[in-house]
Amino acid sequence: MDEIVNNSEALCEFLKKMIIDTLKLEGVAVQGIDTSAPLFRKGLGLDSIDALELVVAIEKIFNVIIEDEEVGKRAFTSINALAKFIQEKYKQGK
Amino acid sequence: MQWIETEEMVRFNEVDEWGMAWHGHYMAWFEVGRISLLRQFDLLPRQIVDLGYVAPVISLKCDFKNPAASGDRIIIRTTAVKPEIAALIFKFDILLKENRTLLARGETTQVLLTTNRKMIYRLSGELEKRIRNLVDYCLQDVTVQVATKAQTIEN
Repeated sequence: MDEIVNNSEALCEFLKKMIIDTLKLEGVAVQGIDTSAPLFRKGLGLDSIDALELVVAIEKIFNVIIEDEEVGKRAFTSINALAKFIQEKYKQGK
Repeated sequence: MQWIETEEMVRFNEVDEWGMAWHGHYMAWFEVGRISLLRQFDLLPRQIVDLGYVAPVISLKCDFKNPAASGDRIIIRTTAVKPEIAALIFKFDILLKENRTLLARGETTQVLLTTNRKMIYRLSGELEKRIRNLVDYCLQDVTVQVATKAQTIEN
């Protein structure tokens, strides 16, 4: 996992796949997700329940905790923002 | 799985023009079952507020299997499910008391917000403890519990 987390591009791709798999998004491909577009509402169109599921997946995979909506707002801004957030917290956890 | 049972009666004002319990009332009966269960674990709405949270329902499902009529005694069976996410999930069966015919089967999901309306993604502290107690109780194997009870009587 260290290898993926340390490589921003690989991490972004991993996160896109994780989102598609976790939320069972139909008709959405990895290449169809814009790395800098918002994940919620106007962007990928995710909602707050999706956030709850993603939080569980992120904790299981990266051992990174997103406590609440306040922190989630920052983490879930975009794929890029989520990757940065995970890189930051993952290092802190090491 | 452990279910708690609450009894209600279908009132005259709860049936529609066709003499069947109106579908919307089942939601209120789910609430009766949910409150009966939550009361045992200090998780009544007021007590959740005292801990600094609110728990709005964000999903509600109900399948209607058989109609109930005015004056029918019904049993509301309620249990809680262990959630993968930070949420409260309940399952309900509504039965006709007389012969335990299944009338309706439903499920509700509630998320947890702080009292200033921020959703929490992880349970913690006293709220987590009470929800864990509730879920552990509902996950109990009923056959084991009955056996234990019989053993207690023997002893």
